[in-house]
Amino acid sequence: MKSLKRSFGDSTANISSKVFIRSLKSGRVQKVVREQYLRKDISCSSQLCSACASNAAADASGNVPKPVLSRQPARTKSFPTGHYIVPDTNVLLTGIDLLEHSDAFYDVIILQTVLDELRNRSLPLYNRIMSLVKSEDKRFYLFFNEFRAETNVVREESETVNDRNDRSIRKSAGWYATHLKAAAKKNAPAIVVITNDADNRRKAEVEGIEALSLREYVSGLENADHLLDMVAEGQDRAVQGELIYPDYFTQSRVQTGLKAGVLHQGVFHVSPHNYLEGTVKVPAFDKPLLILGRESSNRSVSGDVVVVEVLSKDQWKQPSSKIIDEEAMNQNEGAEDEGEGSGPIITEGERKALQEEVKSAHHAGADRAQPTAKVVGVMKRSWRQYVGTVDASAGGGNRQQTVFLVPMDKKIPKIRMRTRQVDQLIGKRVVATIDAWDRDSRYPAGHFVRSLGGLETKEAETEALLLEFDVQYRPFPKAILDCLPSEGHNWTVPQDKSDPGWVGRKDLRELLVCSIDPPGCQDIDDALHARQLPNGNFEVGVHIADVPHFVRPNNAMDAEATSRGTTVYLVDKRIDMLPSLLGTDLCSLKPNVERYAFSTIWELTPDAEIVKADFTKSVIYSREGFSYEAAQKRVDDKSAQDDLTAGMRHLLRLSKLLRAKRMAAGALNLSSPEVRIESAETSNETGDPLADVKTKASLETNSLVEEFMLLANTTVATKIQSVFPQTALLRRHAEPPVSNFADLSDQLKRMRDMELDVSSSKALADSLDKCIDPEHPFFNTLIRILATRCMTSAEYFCSGSHAEPEFRHYGLASEIYTHFTSPIRRYADLLVHRQLAYAISYEGQGSEVVDEGLRNKNKLENVCRNLNFRHRNAQHAGRASIEYYVGQALKQRQAKMGDEGVVEDGYVMRVFENGAVIFVRKFGIEGVVRLEDFDLSPRKKSKKDQRTENEEGLITKESEFEPENYALTVFEKGKKDTTGRRIELFQEVKVRVSSEEKGGAREKGKRKVLQSLALLMTAEPTTMQGVFRDMTPLSISKLDVADSLEDSPAIAETGGGDNNTIWPPRKAPATAIAMSPTRIPASPSVLTQDKALRNKSHLYIRNFPYAAQGEDLRKFFVGHDIVSTSVPVNPRTNRAVGYHFVTFRGGADAQRAVDALSGKLVVEQEVFVQITRDS
Amino acid sequence: MPLDTTSTYSTTLLRLDGRRWNELRKISASISTQPTADGSSLVTTGNTSVVCTITGPREGRGQGDRTNAIVDTDINIAPFAQLDRRRVGRTDKRVQELQTTISQAFQAHLFTHLYPRSSILISLTVLSLDGGLLSTCLNAASIALIDAGVPMPSILASITTGTIIPTDNSLSRPEPVLDLNNAEEVELPFMNLATVRGQTGSEDQISVLLMETRVQMSEANNPLEIMLRIGLDGCAQVRSHLEEVIRRHGRRMTQGRR
Repeated sequence: MKSLKRSFGDSTANISSKVFIRSLKSGRVQKVVREQYLRKDISCSSQLCSACASNAAADASGNVPKPVLSRQPARTKSFPTGHYIVPDTNVLLTGIDLLEHSDAFYDVIILQTVLDELRNRSLPLYNRIMSLVKSEDKRFYLFFNEFRAETNVVREESETVNDRNDRSIRKSAGWYATHLKAAAKKNAPAIVVITNDADNRRKAEVEGIEALSLREYVSGLENADHLLDMVAEGQDRAVQGELIYPDYFTQSRVQTGLKAGVLHQGVFHVSPHNYLEGTVKVPAFDKPLLILGRESSNRSVSGDVVVVEVLSKDQWKQPSSKIIDEEAMNQNEGAEDEGEGSGPIITEGERKALQEEVKSAHHAGADRAQPTAKVVGVMKRSWRQYVGTVDASAGGGNRQQTVFLVPMDKKIPKIRMRTRQVDQLIGKRVVATIDAWDRDSRYPAGHFVRSLGGLETKEAETEALLLEFDVQYRPFPKAILDCLPSEGHNWTVPQDKSDPGWVGRKDLRELLVCSIDPPGCQDIDDALHARQLPNGNFEVGVHIADVPHFVRPNNAMDAEATSRGTTVYLVDKRIDMLPSLLGTDLCSLKPNVERYAFSTIWELTPDAEIVKADFTKSVIYSREGFSYEAAQKRVDDKSAQDDLTAGMRHLLRLSKLLRAKRMAAGALNLSSPEVRIESAETSNETGDPLADVKTKASLETNSLVEEFMLLANTTVATKIQSVFPQTALLRRHAEPPVSNFADLSDQLKRMRDMELDVSSSKALADSLDKCIDPEHPFFNTLIRILATRCMTSAEYFCSGSHAEPEFRHYGLASEIYTHFTSPIRRYADLLVHRQLAYAISYEGQGSEVVDEGLRNKNKLENVCRNLNFRHRNAQHAGRASIEYYVGQALKQRQAKMGDEGVVEDGYVMRVFENGAVIFVRKFGIEGVVRLEDFDLSPRKKSKKDQRTENEEGLITKESEFEPENYALTVFEKGKKDTTGRRIELFQEVKVRVSSEEKGGAREKGKRKVLQSLALLMTAEPTTMQGVFRDMTPLSISKLDVADSLEDSPAIAETGGGDNNTIWPPRKAPATAIAMSPTRIPASPSVLTQDKALRNKSHLYIRNFPYAAQGEDLRKFFVGHDIVSTSVPVNPRTNRAVGYHFVTFRGGADAQRAVDALSGKLVVEQEVFVQITRDS
Repeated sequence: MPLDTTSTYSTTLLRLDGRRWNELRKISASISTQPTADGSSLVTTGNTSVVCTITGPREGRGQGDRTNAIVDTDINIAPFAQLDRRRVGRTDKRVQELQTTISQAFQAHLFTHLYPRSSILISLTVLSLDGGLLSTCLNAASIALIDAGVPMPSILASITTGTIIPTDNSLSRPEPVLDLNNAEEVELPFMNLATVRGQTGSEDQISVLLMETRVQMSEANNPLEIMLRIGLDGCAQVRSHLEEVIRRHGRRMTQGRR
């Protein structure tokens, strides 16, 4: 390390500088000057070249990198001596999938110029290229051409940056060519520049450099047919034909608009029921803005960050009450016809649907119309790879043709792509990406990436699901497995207490610890014990697997766990966060082995009050691993009188007390009915495949574990928050805005005359308890499910990023909360373990390396963002897996039994104009029953008859929709009185659920199996028949009860669409502030109310028009009992100062006025009404 | 986002400005640049350039120390020195700390006992700044003091040194880098190091060590140790260069007199 290479004498000649100007967000301009030291020792990295190899520089440890580029690169017809590839930035941006392909694109030179530009354009693509560079088998070489004296290019005057970069690429390619010729004489491989820029290619030709477009290059390869599908639609394609979509605003216009507040930015979400309807939640308004129709959504895809402009008031509409499905609507469209984009923007069917909507908007009156907006710009595309199926309407053959890829995700439009292998693709799950969406094309253009396998094969469907939810499922690479203890499964807790593993660890092996988990659980995170102390109090311990002992910060395993974030549970598969050696063996607190643990030990009074809490790393010896049922049996078994059982009984008793306390504090009981699927294999032998689908039973022992896990989480949260005030990793559940509940309260009030009090979680819990229908015991659960959907999702956060009152967990009614109890399957818990270890000054093994993330707020915030995203995706994936399984089970059953499906109880969850959403309790799924699928026949017909009738169009069904009453009457055309069937919200109905596979192009796309469903009213023996088109199960199969509430998918996914997004950052809605006075007198005692009535009360009014006089104020408060008004006037200008006071006789009146008038619009201003502080 | 060192260094072994790990930026220095001052120098390291003028040793007014001269430092960063035009006031805490650091370094290094009741004022003006502020200031002051004729045992030479800790693979060693520019200072953990030459036969001695960034410690590859080791070499290199500047100046002076 002694010698310093560069001597000062010769360095002076080789300095260049890079000068560029950049503009900042604030609008200022910065001139940046960077030095560049030019050198001659940058290797060409070809194995053919000996000069570079001898000249190569070493790093500080003396290692010289090996040459990357192959001695015998791939030969093709046009390059008989082999070739190296030099792609330009655009090729990387559009053709990354090709570059990653294992059949082609070896020996690639990535230039620094290109990499720099790529990183500026897209960070994810940059990361993908960097991982290609690091993987040795693809032989990608990163050549820093700007620093090599011969290839450095200085931008000339009046030369654009693009031209300079192109010149730089050509210069490097030219240098490479001559350099290799000198090194390898005859056999020198050709250097091929790949660029889609025709001008660049022309210039290259002049300079004698091989340059091809991506398409030209790929056509010259051996398996061209296959690979050509993956070439993106040429972006240089001139816009042809009619321009269907309006142009986006210019960047500067968008920026000015956003600043001025006339344009708004938000994430575009498409309604799951109607693909033509989208919403954008913007910070400026409480409720999301509606985006109706293709033209308004203007080429944005669900998930994009868009800029919208509010439409004029006459274009406001109410959200559609119709189910509109893209596949059904545009089923007869051929991709080829649309190929050049000459078709109309709106198809005939869509146009009809729009007319219907206008009618209903007029019918309903203007008061329910909602503000609509149109997209005028896209800030950020969130295009990813989409899994779907190829629309089979196109013919076969091997010629190239344009087909539609219909994505699995119904919110994504069809993707137009060109392929030569239609025959191979039909009936397969296919991955594709979107490349562009031009103004002249109705659908986005994309390209084929790869095929996953046949439809409905288990492998393809599972992989599709994991891809769709971005779950990392590849096996752990060697670098990660190297981080595991070398003893493997033979690892044991060291017997010698002087071993470093014992430092800072308590020996708790004599405690009678046991674990209670779902049956067959392999990754046991938690174990418990309890015993009575001599003073009458109880000692209760929760012991959590000490995962951080094995996962040290910042090693490869930790990095992988950070990015995976959570373990994903599918019906028949578990995608682990940590290698299974840890998850199911070394960390798992299995019975009868010694294991490292992190223990939380409380002293509780017999009334379950906490006396003190201790945290320590420990060694435990679990005596028994119970399943919930076994534990319940043991506790109930009167004959069992051993100490372990006694401990469990203590635990059970204390848990009931804790639960009661929590409920009293206002914790919500939102548990949605969960479906569990038991061993998928057995179903094939035993008769009924559906027998596996079970609703989860809830035992006392479930709640026992849950209570103590909640207690542990809360206790730990308080502790780490005190030590890391800025960077504790906590979990919060924000209070949902009152407006979220508006629809549900209205429905309850109209349908059942029930009130929903949402002023606090306690009030909500109480009013939910009152929502009981004695005849339908499930009604209460139904309401709870719906209420859960109105809430925001719980999220991880870093304590520095929120004010302390906002730490609150609304659902659990806890002031502070975190996740501590499942470090095997959640990364958040692992981080919390590290924070807690630091907080208790743990000095033992593993504490030497402190995770930088514990103290760095930015880093922790990034981790939180990722965890929230992964957590949500894991839940969605789990649910999709159940959905698929239920569908398959139904299908098998039908095949076996040959019947028409099962008749089950269902509940109406939502009523549309042409159908209804029905929730089927037994399977935990909900689905849409459409108008045409209602069964109206008075007598029970066999299904076959009905089918023929429907198909022949004998019965034309019509419906009458009553939006105010949430009811729908379906009848045969012209025979309303005789055949009419009325369904309304919350009604219990009989449905026939069956699996149905329809042929034809229409269905191939989105759903594997359709559920056919018949409605039978309980009251009348009449049937309706419907088809489940899109099922959404409400639950996950495997869940730790520890926080089943916490994890309940409903909570994680509820509320408006934007809750699922990270961008834009959520802001507290304005009304929450304006309305806060209404919440103060939430439960006034009689005394204070009297007082308030006796006293006069003043209101403070702001944002009222300036010109207003006392008269106008009185008009505004019409219907309220005012004593006097006052309009203060500025004595100098003699103008109203802009705020007013109104005096009321009493506080109650004033409060009513505030409730009614705050936020009301007067001359397009939101008026702010508040009780003055002194009254 | 522009390129950064951490993600590409491990594959290219090149830093953001094209240097290898152990290469210094181009240093050019000259002394006696301001004829009016008692001693002066101009030191340029890459795009950082600092002018130093020395006032003194002269009678210290109200100076209480009867045995030693007192060294004071005054740093003035020109508003146009950095990327953003920004006035750095006298009350800037960071600048004050640098002033104290420099004063203390020279207070201990110079033979101040030769000038009792005197004061020596080091005025540093930063004309442009691209990393290595403290180091360049120390180097400039060091040769300006020689120009002013204040005796000292050796040249106090300074350099910054940092480490690149690979993010993708924690098993590989952290790589040290010398003489960081501004972009690297923002990205990497680094320290300022200054040494004076030891007595004949003994090693150089560290006189200033200032580290304001956080670095992760690990037992096997202690980044601090690695940084220190290469920093010492770097200082020696800088010192030999500064000595050459002094010698050249001396030669010119003697030739001029003849």
